[in-house]
Amino acid sequence: MQQHSADATAMPGAQFVDPKILARIGNLELLARTVVDGFINGLHRAPYFGASIDFAEHRGYVSGDDIRRVDWRLFARTDRFYVKQYEADTNTNFSLLLDISKSMSFGSKGITKLTYACFLGACLAYLAQRQRDRVGTITFDSEIVNYVPPSAKHFNVLLHTLDRAKAERRGDLTRPLRDMSEHFKRRSILVLISDFYEDPDVILEAIKPLRFAGNDLIVFHVLDPAELDFGYSDASSFEDLESGEQIPVVPDSFAAEYRKLIRGHIDALTTKFSEHRIDYTMINTAEPLDRSLFSYLSARERMMRVR
Amino acid sequence: MAFLTPLFLLAGATIALPIFVHLIQRERKRVIQFPSLMFVQRIPYQSVRRRRIRHWALLLMRCAALLMIVAAFARPFLRRAAVIAAAAGGSRELVVLLDHSASMGFGDHWQRARDAAHAAIGSLGANDRATFVLFSRNAEENMRATTDRARLNAAVDSAKVDADSTRYGPALKLAESILSRSQARRREAVLISDFQRAGWSGSEDVHFGEGYTLTPVSVASPAANNIAIPSVTFGRTSFSGQERLTVSAGIANKGNAPVSDVPVTLEVEGHQIQTQQAKIGANSTASVSFTQFTVDRPIVKGTVRAGTDPMPADNVFHFTVSPSAPVSLLVVTNPDSRDSALYLSQALAVGTTPVFQTDVVPVTRVTPANFEKRAVVILNDVSFPSAAAGGTLKKFVEGGGGLLVAAGDHTSWPQSEAELLPGTLGPSVDRTARGATLGFRDYSHAVFELFKAPRSGDFSAARIYRYRTLMTGPNDRVLARFDDGAVAVAERKVGAGRVIALTATLDDSYSDLPLKPVYVPLVHQLVKYLGQFESPRSWMTVGQVVDVSALTKARANWLVVTPSGKRVTSTGPLELDEQGIYEVRPAGASESAPPRAIAVNIDPAESDLTSIDPAELVAAVTGRATPTATASASPTETSQADVKDAEKRQALWWYLLLTGLLLLAVETVVSNRLSQGERFL
Repeated sequence: MQQHSADATAMPGAQFVDPKILARIGNLELLARTVVDGFINGLHRAPYFGASIDFAEHRGYVSGDDIRRVDWRLFARTDRFYVKQYEADTNTNFSLLLDISKSMSFGSKGITKLTYACFLGACLAYLAQRQRDRVGTITFDSEIVNYVPPSAKHFNVLLHTLDRAKAERRGDLTRPLRDMSEHFKRRSILVLISDFYEDPDVILEAIKPLRFAGNDLIVFHVLDPAELDFGYSDASSFEDLESGEQIPVVPDSFAAEYRKLIRGHIDALTTKFSEHRIDYTMINTAEPLDRSLFSYLSARERMMRVR
Repeated sequence: MAFLTPLFLLAGATIALPIFVHLIQRERKRVIQFPSLMFVQRIPYQSVRRRRIRHWALLLMRCAALLMIVAAFARPFLRRAAVIAAAAGGSRELVVLLDHSASMGFGDHWQRARDAAHAAIGSLGANDRATFVLFSRNAEENMRATTDRARLNAAVDSAKVDADSTRYGPALKLAESILSRSQARRREAVLISDFQRAGWSGSEDVHFGEGYTLTPVSVASPAANNIAIPSVTFGRTSFSGQERLTVSAGIANKGNAPVSDVPVTLEVEGHQIQTQQAKIGANSTASVSFTQFTVDRPIVKGTVRAGTDPMPADNVFHFTVSPSAPVSLLVVTNPDSRDSALYLSQALAVGTTPVFQTDVVPVTRVTPANFEKRAVVILNDVSFPSAAAGGTLKKFVEGGGGLLVAAGDHTSWPQSEAELLPGTLGPSVDRTARGATLGFRDYSHAVFELFKAPRSGDFSAARIYRYRTLMTGPNDRVLARFDDGAVAVAERKVGAGRVIALTATLDDSYSDLPLKPVYVPLVHQLVKYLGQFESPRSWMTVGQVVDVSALTKARANWLVVTPSGKRVTSTGPLELDEQGIYEVRPAGASESAPPRAIAVNIDPAESDLTSIDPAELVAAVTGRATPTATASASPTETSQADVKDAEKRQALWWYLLLTGLLLLAVETVVSNRLSQGERFL
């Protein structure tokens, strides 16, 4: 687990747990449980879409269905064969697609984007595992690095994979996502976490195949506060983490223009993902994980309603 | 403000360093890793680079420190202060050397030279002293050391160009002598001249002491054209008992361009005889011959004039000519041998300068009258003449006549007349076996001086088979000896006359000398020496000295009228310092009496205006090279020594260096403070 020695403290009265404090927890499972349980306990009035094996709905009997699942009481009232469906039967594949390109190793406030993404992924996987979804993960940079196929027993493997993930190489969305789209034959819930340093059109073109395959796609755009605010003051040479290229920059007069560009980038992604019915959430690593979980559960709610 | 070593200012370019650091280097030292420069790259690079300079005060401090250190190394000084200091120094000894030789009459050289002299005098401070020296061949203190500028300027105004030649040695020695006597702190000499190369041989032993300054001021014209007449030659012919003269003048063109149609005129006794046109190539000479004229008086004065140019003095050439005077000789021979004077007569018949008028008389027929108006008497293998003739001969010699005794078997000399013979004659010595040669010749004597140079007469080829021995006395001078040491030629001076004794005859009975090439010139030299013949000089050069009494062969007061009309009474040496024709006549003689005339011309070397590099001369005299001052250079400008002195006294470099280092120290403190907040600057 990546450790960060930032000595900043949580804000007084903060409702949720600061990510920097979470970073001190050495076990991803414990971390995920801490976050998720605390999160659920605090949301007693929120709609609960937790995992259960309770009845979900009836559907018409078709040939081949197990006759043991026929609701005989309903047959008695309606004289038609209906089969009872339970939630436990609706568990699905949950795949975490984690970008581990070099740019994800950036962190200005004591926690890197990759660390934050791992926390987020672990929490989401924990949530999914609690509702009996099969969890898996794929880490990638310019190609697929690790692949953990979705399974009810792969939660620990997933945590282990996230724990060992290291951002070392240049990233490229197009090729690994294309490979993934060919891989996911079964409809899945795909959670893509990345910093999306690419042109919005290119990103969308790379993601589209996943979406068209019928997968439910939730996108988290992870950005560091420095990437959003560009709070530098001294003229310096800025080095691209992935390419190593250096450019001298005088930030004073440059920051405003930069903020304008990054805001434009986020807006463009928001618009384009929205157009293609993809849930998109921009996450600031300085904010608690809860907000991300809210986004995820909101998305699941929408999915359940649709379903 | 000026700088002693201005080349150091080039180091001022280092001021670009702090600016470079402020603009460029500071942006590259700090590297910030950023996830992606995707958006940074979209902003034009030029707009983010070299955007502005922060910490202006720091930059200015660094630049000022660098500039001050560079300026300190360039050794600055205040020129005005230097001039004032030089003027206020007070103890300056200045020697103004003004060349007034004939060449300074070229064009406006003289006016420019006087202007330069006035300027040098004008530079004198209140306590400065100056000596004004006029020089040409010699140097003269025209105005002794004084602080009175008015007198010095008056002396310069009254100076005139003379006709003498240029020599820098005496002038510089005089200047060195004046400066060495001075107690002044600064001792300077200003040499104003056209710097003729002919005036400096390089062998002059002139050395200025340490600390003396010699400032050359050249008024030379870069490409001076000049036509000069360096000499004339004469051709004499006789016609109807009178002598006729042909004058040929050499014309020299000292310029780099050829000249044509140069009118060359011959004037004789004030009358123009002929004018011819001459064409002369660049840096070459031509000859012009004029029509003959008759020399009908004892002294004929003539002048040749050629063209006009900026230097008229050398366009005129004066000369005097006289009818040639033959040297009269009496050859006394033995009546028994008729041909004994054959070789001698033939030898004396050769030549025109002078013409020898020879009379041959047997010894038995010699009378006292034969010695009248003779210049030389030759006793050729004869005994001393009889009593009357012998006495006359003695008086002739004592009166300035010349006697040549060629001793042979017939020669006998009475004891009573022993004083007329340089020694005592002895018996004959027979050297018929191999023959004797002249083993020793006194080349310092006028007779043998002509044969001094190599291949100028081969006496070793002559063989003397018989000679008379001669025992010379202490007052006799041996001029030549045979190879066995016996006297061959000896001389004795008797009264005003000269006697030379040869111990062999002048015919071929004793030797084969008459058959050798040296015979004729030897006989001519003997006769001219004994006859005290001097070829008349048609002209002399300015600066030469003539002994008037020797010229006229009489001791008396003489009145000399110079070409400028001055009248000088002289009995001794007379220095010829003017160009033209001097007239000399006995004091008290009537004006109608024909005077002797001496033609005087300027030194031909003065016509060569080729100049020497003043720096070369200064380096030779002072032992160090100094910048060459030109004619336009003002002597009032501060000299190099003044500049160094002023810079040393002002010591501005010290303050600049100190301030620069202080600024650097402050800059270090300030930059450290700032860097604590910004990690680097």
